Amino acid sequence: MLEIQRLKAGYEGKVIVEVPHLSLASGEHCLILGDSGSGKTTLLCTLAGLLSPVAGEITVNGQLLGAMRGSALDAFRGRNIGMIYQTLHMVSALTVLENVLLPQYAAGVAQDRGKAIGLLERLGIADKKDDKPETLSQGQQQRVAIARAAINSPRVIVGDEPTSALDDSACETVMGLLLQLAAASNASLVIATHDQRIKGHFHQQIRVGGAL
Amino acid sequence: MNSLRLSFAYLRHKALSTTLTVTTFAAGVAMIVVLLLVNAQLQNEFANNLKGIDLVVGAKGSPMQLILSSVFHLDLPTGNIPLAAAEKLSKHPMVRQAIPLALGDNFQGYRIVGTTAAYPEHYQARLRAGGRYWKKEMEAVLGAEVAGRSGLKTGDTFAGSHGLTVGGEVHAQFPYTVVGVLEPTDSVLDRLVLTGMASVWYIHEHDDDEAGAAGGASEQHEASPASPDSRATDAANSGQQREITSLLISYNSPLAAAGLPRLINKTTSMQAASPAFEMARLNAFMGRGTVTLGFFAWFLIALAGFGIFAGLYNAMDERRYDLALMRSFGARPGKLFTLMMTESLVVALVGVALGVLAGHLLVQGIATWLASSKHIHMTGRLFLVEEAWLFPVSLAVGALAALLPAIRVYRIDIFKTLVHH
Repeated sequence: MLEIQRLKAGYEGKVIVEVPHLSLASGEHCLILGDSGSGKTTLLCTLAGLLSPVAGEITVNGQLLGAMRGSALDAFRGRNIGMIYQTLHMVSALTVLENVLLPQYAAGVAQDRGKAIGLLERLGIADKKDDKPETLSQGQQQRVAIARAAINSPRVIVGDEPTSALDDSACETVMGLLLQLAAASNASLVIATHDQRIKGHFHQQIRVGGAL
Repeated sequence: MNSLRLSFAYLRHKALSTTLTVTTFAAGVAMIVVLLLVNAQLQNEFANNLKGIDLVVGAKGSPMQLILSSVFHLDLPTGNIPLAAAEKLSKHPMVRQAIPLALGDNFQGYRIVGTTAAYPEHYQARLRAGGRYWKKEMEAVLGAEVAGRSGLKTGDTFAGSHGLTVGGEVHAQFPYTVVGVLEPTDSVLDRLVLTGMASVWYIHEHDDDEAGAAGGASEQHEASPASPDSRATDAANSGQQREITSLLISYNSPLAAAGLPRLINKTTSMQAASPAFEMARLNAFMGRGTVTLGFFAWFLIALAGFGIFAGLYNAMDERRYDLALMRSFGARPGKLFTLMMTESLVVALVGVALGVLAGHLLVQGIATWLASSKHIHMTGRLFLVEEAWLFPVSLAVGALAALLPAIRVYRIDIFKTLVHH
């Protein structure tokens, strides 16, 4: 599902992280560990196709990311990669439900309100669907962000510290939901974190920064 | 959810600035609509009243005043002319028709005009069933509006008051009898009381006897705004020489325009004024004002366009996260460009729609206000082809305002915006 070969990730020509090799099968999850500032986010954004690799290759779902440009890459990213940002980036002009539907609007695919409501139900925040995101707690917003990342049934869900702001029990719940959603569409989770609590759920882990 | 719904969501989200922009836009559009409607209706009113009148002959003075007072019944007359001279002129071979007018009194602010049946006939006026034109002194025919406002019917009586504006001395002892009411003509006739010239002379002959007896009272008369003509009509009472206020002339041949006005101006004590020429002059004066207001209105629209621009440009700053987010979710820049454009076009469309509505309501308001002035008629329920232009032009302003902010979506750096700020 996800293949990395001799990847050098960074931006503006500067290499921040290197990953010599990584191979994830469908449904396999990978943890990216590292201290803050170690380049975890840069690596995630490169995997998500938001940054071009400085060198090396990334293959997602059989497609070489570096071979796509412009709107082809936009479309591929929209359909295959779900993204959960560390800063959640809720669109405050829209309701929770509209926020969840936003990736479908953006990717130009049919908008499935039933599916979005189903996701919100599984995440336990369906009753908030018509509220504005700023009225929700941090934990609730985190769940909206997860629903939003999962709405297009991506092959890879990329998360940047999705649990680090949560307490132990919330962390367990969110992690459980992420795994459940990933399993439902046989997607791979790639989670960057310094949160040691969630290590046990992952098949592979790579460490970035310091221990290069 | 589509670009339109998303645009609405954003517009609702920043309701205050949206309201401000829409209001400014609407104000500019409304102003243009008012200008268009008022201008069109004034021109139409002028054209209806001028119909077929080639020349107006009256006392010497301002030619514009002569036209305004005799054709549109707006201004005060320049004075009077001797009936004999007017009659002689009426028989000139180049004159096809000459309609005499004798002014001096009013009824509730509506002018009482002594004339002949040729005057209503000139405007193709028709009497309502059961009515007739005057046959003797103190019989009057009411214009449609006069009858409507006063509630007078055929057979009723009323008294005129001295002068051309409300507030003059009432000629209570000389009541008129209504013998007919005219159908609406869409011309100045609707707001006139018509009678024979004999009635006007009759009243003022007797009135003068009284005024003479009252001594100082006649001084006051002459100080009133209507004094030039009333003095003249009053003078007619002495019997030696009757006078009228003016003569509306239609030519027999277009050649008359070359010689007749000059002949009258040179060889008589009267003045001949061409309505077409004076109206062109008036339009030139008013045109400048209209053009200035028009510039101001377009300035408002441009300002609103600038408001949309500033709003969207600022919004771009606040919204670059949202836009970058949508980009990261796979939205092509073209889609976001459309989104920004839609937002601006919605503002422009709502603005122009509200502006057109407000413009018509305003003109209706002006019309109601003018109705009480008894001079000019207007309505807000008139729609002009020119107004249709406001829509594409407004949308173009909206599109232009959104262009620069919308182009910026092509330059959004997703990574830097969302992660690396």
